[in-house]
Amino acid sequence: MRVRKSSCSARNYPRANSENASAMIELAHVTKKFGAKMAVDDLSLHIEAGEVFAFLGPNGAGKTTTIKMMCGLLFPSAGTVRMAGFDMKSDSEKARRLISYVPDQPFLYEKLTGREVMQFIADMYGMEPAHGRQRIEDMIDTFGLREFVDDLTERYSHGMRQRTVFACALLHEPSVLIVDEPTVGLDPRSVRLLKDLLRLEAQRGATVFLSTHSLDIAQELADRIGVVASGRLISCGTLNTLRQQAAMDGSLEEVFLKLTEESRSESPTEPVTGPPLSAPETAL
Amino acid sequence: MSTTSNATIHQGMLFQWLRWRMLRNATRVVMNQSRLRVFTIFLCSAFIWGSLFAISLFGFRELRIRWDFPLDGSLMGLVFDVLFVSLSALLIFSTGIILYSSLFSSAETSFLLSLPVSPDQIFAYKFQGAIAFSSWAFVLLASPVLIAYGIRVNDGAPWYFYAVLPLFFFGFVLLPGSLGALICLLLVRFVPRNRKQILLLTVAVVAVLLGLWLARRLPSMRDLFASRDWVDQLLDEISLVRSPFVPAHWIADGLQAAAKREPSHMLFRLALIWANGLFLYVVTAWTASKLYRPAYNRIASGSSLAREFSDSWLSKWLGLFTYALSGVWVVHFPSGARVQYHPGTGEGRLDRAVNRLLFFLDAPTRLMIVKDFRTFRRDPAQWAQVVIFICLIVLYFSNVKWFYEQEIGKPFQNGISLLNLVATCFLMCAYTGRFVFPMLSLEGRKFWILGLLPLPRQTLLWGKFAFSAVGCLLVGEFLVLFSNLMLQTPMHIIAVQMATMVVVAVGLSGLSVGLGACIPNFRESDPSKIAVGFGGTLNLVAGLLMVILVVGLMAGPWHYFLMARAAAAIDPDYRALIEAGGFIAGMIVGLLATIVPLRAGARALVRMEF
Repeated sequence: MRVRKSSCSARNYPRANSENASAMIELAHVTKKFGAKMAVDDLSLHIEAGEVFAFLGPNGAGKTTTIKMMCGLLFPSAGTVRMAGFDMKSDSEKARRLISYVPDQPFLYEKLTGREVMQFIADMYGMEPAHGRQRIEDMIDTFGLREFVDDLTERYSHGMRQRTVFACALLHEPSVLIVDEPTVGLDPRSVRLLKDLLRLEAQRGATVFLSTHSLDIAQELADRIGVVASGRLISCGTLNTLRQQAAMDGSLEEVFLKLTEESRSESPTEPVTGPPLSAPETAL
Repeated sequence: MSTTSNATIHQGMLFQWLRWRMLRNATRVVMNQSRLRVFTIFLCSAFIWGSLFAISLFGFRELRIRWDFPLDGSLMGLVFDVLFVSLSALLIFSTGIILYSSLFSSAETSFLLSLPVSPDQIFAYKFQGAIAFSSWAFVLLASPVLIAYGIRVNDGAPWYFYAVLPLFFFGFVLLPGSLGALICLLLVRFVPRNRKQILLLTVAVVAVLLGLWLARRLPSMRDLFASRDWVDQLLDEISLVRSPFVPAHWIADGLQAAAKREPSHMLFRLALIWANGLFLYVVTAWTASKLYRPAYNRIASGSSLAREFSDSWLSKWLGLFTYALSGVWVVHFPSGARVQYHPGTGEGRLDRAVNRLLFFLDAPTRLMIVKDFRTFRRDPAQWAQVVIFICLIVLYFSNVKWFYEQEIGKPFQNGISLLNLVATCFLMCAYTGRFVFPMLSLEGRKFWILGLLPLPRQTLLWGKFAFSAVGCLLVGEFLVLFSNLMLQTPMHIIAVQMATMVVVAVGLSGLSVGLGACIPNFRESDPSKIAVGFGGTLNLVAGLLMVILVVGLMAGPWHYFLMARAAAAIDPDYRALIEAGGFIAGMIVGLLATIVPLRAGARALVRMEF
């Protein structure tokens, strides 16, 4: 498997809403309730183009709910979600043209081959036929799908499915890539490939939003890290910022454990707002 | 054309491509892996179709020749009206229920909603699937009856009667299908929080209204059959069904017009059906474009086990009903009253009652039964259909009672009693096919949890079998006793029928659980789709055959000899021998139908890899 840098084409790069495109992902005071339960509590985020943002938190912290609101699957109970400058409640179809979402339990049509699934995705995003075919071939090479891409996906192993799903997600060169638990079921070689790809996507200008429990991936890839607990953003910034907040100088794992432990014992009175990425903070 | 319109048309065509490509691939796989399976599906369908066609052909001939019944008259039109009204009701319910599952709880829906697809296109794609699933049985059951009618009416219907049949069918299913979809969308969008209770309330209100209507109508119908012009009175009594505004009347009238060689009237009815069907579909699709995403959000946002109710009397009633039904939910009222029931264990009063009821079984089997019972009662799409089934059959029995009290049914007491037993057994067959057969398949990809439990895998099977047999016995015996007591059937016949019901309930349970383990479908999460698949169809046909055999052998001779002429024509010793022999033979058939599939299912379960 090898990463093909040539697969990123600026000509077909989808356009964000230029009037409001200061941030590719913008959550303003977002709250989400499930009945009486508060899943996300006054969450604000501001993520720029070309940034890799890691979203960390314990189980049930509200990560997947936040992601579902960013994809337009759920509407916030209060606050606004804007993706690539488009409001996800009133203008979500335009926004979804620029987004790719890889859920923790991805879906594939079992009675289609991997190639047919990719063809469906390419057509659904309105890609030109020739360009679509070229991109499918690129993705087959990039993710090493050649051996099984013409088999029905019902015969795929978990890792094969995961690679096919990523190929589908990157097919239309999204402006925003949202990934929930990306490395589940992938072998070490595929994990390495995925890390390289995510970094490349950010380099070509895409925003990568990564929800994960793999702290080493977050530490290696992310420009900024957001830590969420009980629906509230308890910390946001570079690893150094997080270390400062935790008042310790350890690994991300140690910092994360300290921050989430503290949040369990004391509920923050003021929500943390993720500041825009500034130049000195980019280095972890 | 605007870009948006182009995109919409493009998406619509893409979904058609997706559907046909999946169908093509699935057909190839099935043809490569198991031609026998395809052959059996066609054989089963042909058998059901052919049997219905033969019975209808015979029935229409008898009606016309023996009873001098005018097949193109208004009474036949009335029969068609009632038939299509009943089918409309079934299509409204089944399309609504299937669409609810496929629009709001399938993994594919979440996937599609994250793509740049307009919601009305997703709705249209899912609607087509729901209509196909809910109406294939309608086509399978109605087409042989109507073709037989065309052959027997007058000197045979003209060629265009057969040509327009599919056009009438496909146009007609759009109307109840769209209505069911519209109701589903509106219910989910506007009453999502207490939707289980609202659904039950709707079913209860419909049943009560129907009961009230019958109660009001019955006194005025007392002299119905005593009068010479009873046909006219009957037509008046159910004039609603024959109203020019009821779509079922359009198809009934249109088909009769075709049979009577009145092409212009036929075309008018056909145009009326298609125009209204397409209009209602467009209204529903437009509603979906506005409501689908908000409705999905409300469903996805309201899955907490703890529910809140306002302080109004209706909400309190709903809250207490919820508590009684599920036991697990916590019900809060703003006034401070609070009902809480074992939120930690999830064990409710009903669960404990079932647990106690099954004291004679070992603990793991009881545990499995309680799990299945809990899963069943928490899914309104499942138990609401059982409530509808039972309401319909109780209404049928009530009508039979009234006919009997009017001295109309007395000469036919024996026959009506047997007919009731057959109807109840068929109901049990439909119930086990729809709810019990898919039970093992529904464990789906979570099957490994059960497969790894420290107990013999056969226990899973015995648990499901006991759950089904107990449920069928309770409902079946109640219905048999209820109908026979109303008809004042002799006690020994009641005893025979109740014993027959035991054999049928146990046999159908064994068959459905056993075949469900032999032919599981772990890929499908919608039980209605599992029930209408290959395994479900095979199970239904096998169940129907078993019911006919068991009832024919066990109860048939007793009812036959209850007729004075038949009893007089045979020696009493021979009569006792035939009755006892048939009874024993029926029990053997029931025993075989229980043991053989269960043993095969147990073997399949032990061998199963997951």
